[in-house]
Amino acid sequence: MEQLKLFSGQVRRHLLTILIANNLVIFVGWWMGQRWFNLDFNSLFISLLIVALIDSILFSLTSTYILTKPIKLVAQAILHISPDEGGVAAPEQSATSLGKDMVSKLCNEIYRIANVAQTVSADNAAAMPDLRTNFIANRLPLPLIVLSKKLDIIFANEAALKYLRYSAEDITGKSVYSALDLSFTTTDTFDTWYSQAKTNSVAADHFWRRVRLKLADQKTPVLFDLAAYYNKDNSSGYEILLTMFDHTHEYSQDEQAMNFVALAVHELRTPLTLLRGYIDALDEELSNQLSSEQADFLKKMEASAQQLSAFVSNILNVSRVDNDQLLFKLSKEDWADIVTAAANDMSLQAQLRGIKLTLQIQPNLPPVGVDRVTVYEVLINLLDNAIKYSDKSKEIIIKSSLTKDGFVETTVQDFGIGVPEAIMTNLFDKFYRSHRNVLRVGGTGLGLYLSKAIISGHGGNIWVRSKEGQGSAFSFTVLPFSRLADEQKNKDNGDIIRSAHGWIKNHSYYRR
Amino acid sequence: MDENQTNTPMPRRRVLCIEDEHFIGELYQRALTKGGYDTTIEIDGKKGLQLAQTGNYDIILLDLMVPTITGIEILRSLRDPKQTPNLKAKIIITTNLEQRDEIRDDIERHADGYIIKAEITPRELVKFLDNIS
Repeated sequence: MEQLKLFSGQVRRHLLTILIANNLVIFVGWWMGQRWFNLDFNSLFISLLIVALIDSILFSLTSTYILTKPIKLVAQAILHISPDEGGVAAPEQSATSLGKDMVSKLCNEIYRIANVAQTVSADNAAAMPDLRTNFIANRLPLPLIVLSKKLDIIFANEAALKYLRYSAEDITGKSVYSALDLSFTTTDTFDTWYSQAKTNSVAADHFWRRVRLKLADQKTPVLFDLAAYYNKDNSSGYEILLTMFDHTHEYSQDEQAMNFVALAVHELRTPLTLLRGYIDALDEELSNQLSSEQADFLKKMEASAQQLSAFVSNILNVSRVDNDQLLFKLSKEDWADIVTAAANDMSLQAQLRGIKLTLQIQPNLPPVGVDRVTVYEVLINLLDNAIKYSDKSKEIIIKSSLTKDGFVETTVQDFGIGVPEAIMTNLFDKFYRSHRNVLRVGGTGLGLYLSKAIISGHGGNIWVRSKEGQGSAFSFTVLPFSRLADEQKNKDNGDIIRSAHGWIKNHSYYRR
Repeated sequence: MDENQTNTPMPRRRVLCIEDEHFIGELYQRALTKGGYDTTIEIDGKKGLQLAQTGNYDIILLDLMVPTITGIEILRSLRDPKQTPNLKAKIIITTNLEQRDEIRDDIERHADGYIIKAEITPRELVKFLDNIS
């Protein structure tokens, strides 16, 4: 720096002058003492000592003042812009005899940096005016995102930008919904939490597990736990803080396990298709030639193969529930149509045991909002159970009606062995079956667990009323489509994505 | 149950079945022919697509895992007016594969029906097709 060299030269010349002047004073004093005052050696020595002491003090005082003046001015400039040192006036840059240029250059540099910092914090956030907060936020080893009241991203720290592979310009100022494609495992999404928090609380926090985010530049998503802090009308403008805890590795291992199940299911289904196909062909070819016993055997083979294929689908869905991947697409459907189809499909199994399926469907039920495929499985599971546990009774009643509070309620009632009271509460858990029935009844104990997950995902309830020896009534509710539609005023298509534990697109609720 | 009753639509409808599992093809051809359909089985994806594009079929049964190109690619090509203008055939996906969400959307948008093969017998398939107008 040119000005620094200039200043060094000035300091050198100053010190040289001072030292020469100092020596000159002592030398002149000695000459004058001898020549004019005729002092003897002792008096001369003491006088010179005093003179040397005084002028050293004088010279050092003036030098200190002159040499430290530039540093003082620069320090004053720094204190002037520092937010914690209010009231320090700006330095008068020409008030120094040495290093005027340097002082002026350094002061201007300091003001420029301060200006940049001010502009940066103004851009980055009205919310982040304090340079030290910014510093801490940027060195925080966790991704941190700050949202304004309008849910615009006003700040993302360096860890967040690195994790999301964005540059600050990519996301700053954008709505969190358009910048971050977040998916949650339950209906408890960021959005539902925020809408509640802002109406009910001044400050709130929340934690979500297994949140999924699709990165802009990548096909594979990142998976993390998400923590949020909400502060109503925060004076500094930062309404919401979001922090992410990455678990991509461990959560995607679960997904791989899931993929294995999907593969196994596919491999099982191919031979099953053939098994059912050839039984079907045999049945067609031989139906007129078989004795009644042989025909019965064939029917039993057919029913077992059908049961196996239903079970294989159940395995897959249970694994999806366990891995938070069961996704429902709720569409407008005719409920009577679905119930009738399920009853027809189970009529073969029922016939084999001499059981009559009776349908009692209230006419003119409103259209329901269901995922046809999965809700059909619930009906099949309940009917399958009812048939298995019917024992000697010969009738199963399937009732559907509209309840007073506007749900469509369906009950599958059998008159068989019933459920012992002791296990009623655990009935919807995985692998729970009445131990007393294990020997008499086959099955996997997955059906009710899965049914509960599916019905909960539809926004309904499932429950059982049962008495040992008198039979069981399993009931569940689903919502009319109109009610789901009310729930989702901002939906942009006819379908609604919901899940038991599946992924829910945050922005399918709110697309702006 | 009325399993032995077969509806014979007039005139006979033509079905193209793109299916690489030989025995499944055999079972479907047998049942469909008996059920009153003219049936062609094709095991290769690319050839299947070419056949489908001729417009000679009323219904296309499409497996998702076939050699040379995937069923999804076939589905997209058939529904792309540039590649396949004026396709009138109904497309029914027949698969044993569980769908990932990405292609589930494609299927729902482009296909007229979706069948898990293990959950339906050949005669049920015929009934299913009878109900498609």
